[in-house]
Amino acid sequence: MKIKYLTKDPDWVQRLEKLGYGYHSDNNTPYWIDHYYYSISEALADKIYHATEELWQMCLKAVEYVIENQKYALFHIPNFIHHHIEKSWENDAPGIYGRFDFAYDAAKDQLKMLEFNADTPTSLFESGVVQWYWKEHFFGNKKDQFNSVHDQLIDSWKVLKPYLKGSKLHFSCVKESLEDLTNVEYLRDTAIQAGIETKLVYVDDIGWNGQHFVDLEDEAIGSIFKLYPWEWLVNEEFGIHIINDVSEAQWIEPSWKMILSNKAILPVLWELYPNHPLLLESHFNDPKGMSSYVKKPLLSREGANISFVYNDRTIFETQGDYGEEGFVYQELAALHKEGSGYSIIGSWIIGQEPCGISFRESDYPVTTDKSRFLPHIIE
Amino acid sequence: MKKRSSKAVQLLLITSVLASCSKPAPKTENEVKQQVFMRADSTAQYTNVTQQYDQQRSHSGGMGSALLWYMAFRHLGGGMGYASSGLKPQSVVGTNTAKANAYNKTATRGGFGSTAKKSNVSASS
Repeated sequence: MKIKYLTKDPDWVQRLEKLGYGYHSDNNTPYWIDHYYYSISEALADKIYHATEELWQMCLKAVEYVIENQKYALFHIPNFIHHHIEKSWENDAPGIYGRFDFAYDAAKDQLKMLEFNADTPTSLFESGVVQWYWKEHFFGNKKDQFNSVHDQLIDSWKVLKPYLKGSKLHFSCVKESLEDLTNVEYLRDTAIQAGIETKLVYVDDIGWNGQHFVDLEDEAIGSIFKLYPWEWLVNEEFGIHIINDVSEAQWIEPSWKMILSNKAILPVLWELYPNHPLLLESHFNDPKGMSSYVKKPLLSREGANISFVYNDRTIFETQGDYGEEGFVYQELAALHKEGSGYSIIGSWIIGQEPCGISFRESDYPVTTDKSRFLPHIIE
Repeated sequence: MKKRSSKAVQLLLITSVLASCSKPAPKTENEVKQQVFMRADSTAQYTNVTQQYDQQRSHSGGMGSALLWYMAFRHLGGGMGYASSGLKPQSVVGTNTAKANAYNKTATRGGFGSTAKKSNVSASS
């Protein structure tokens, strides 16, 4: 796994914007990296594939364990939604995707799971579309990429279609984020290609008519994909209506994903699979004797409120408003480092199948919304 | 095994709308701030939606189609014209009593989305 440089394409911005990729830069600082990439081996791609497959099965077992043993308090999940979670789990309610984040130690050829973005993962459009077109632009069909995200999304929607409620699948996100809108519109695009009738409704335009959730035309919502975290939904004014809904709308991702998207799953996994080679030691409440660890809030987003402790000394901290619900302590992982920065690997699981990877690079050993997206090639 | 590149990636939705959001607007030091006003009934007063415009512009640099997506006008049916929850109610119905009745009968909205607004962060992870 190493960085390789390309001759810069002076028209890279126009090339990307033609695809509908509008957030390639943040105040003139590129978020998308076009002129260098990660070159990885076939063996590493295989390794990531199998690690993702194995972790997914471990995560499903962990959800079962949390539900059977009523461990919701560890996750700070409100009481009123427990039954909804259990029902969604028992009914095998449809989900579409998730993204594992890995640290890779090249010296030990070792992958370690940093976390699982199981509820609202993004960078899907970059992974499935922009990265693929980048490969076509620079390499044509001479090189390969671990990236069947697009095909797998369409195939997965086809599988889910018979299980959806209502005649339409609604898609929802916040109004103020072009990144979120692009990811949702991409998902909607693939659902349309799978033959599903769809409709966009922004999350704050969702209505409640006393019986059902409705869209802006007062049409009842039977099934809805939402790019909006469960922990936000259940704590907002309409959250209680999720269980009052006469139609019992099908939410995608389903409510049981609330367990996997919470950092409390990390110590639960460690308890269930102690010393598993893909896991980092993790604990609730205190580091339990670890001298080098990362302290993460249960519900933080985009790398906020994280502290890095090395040999019992805090060496780096990020700011934010999270941490009220408590913290987990995770063994400090060695992140892959090149001259351009620290990198993590994102591995997509779509329709229960590992199907693509992406790389995020940062100046510091934590991934935030400022971290750069790097494409890759298998060679 | 899906560890291969897709053979082809085709998109159906209007990606040009999203792309248009990223075009930087030319700025000058003495630029006069653009004001945007809207109403949904000819008997109504206008609502200043410049703030929503600015929110879009911070991501995009231009109003383009994104603001129209944001405003999301919906048809009330029964010849009552259109409404948008992005406008003040008096700018939706004006003095049109029949339209006010139709508008008030619709579902309540805004019960989701408050956390994102309060924390001003993306819902993505």
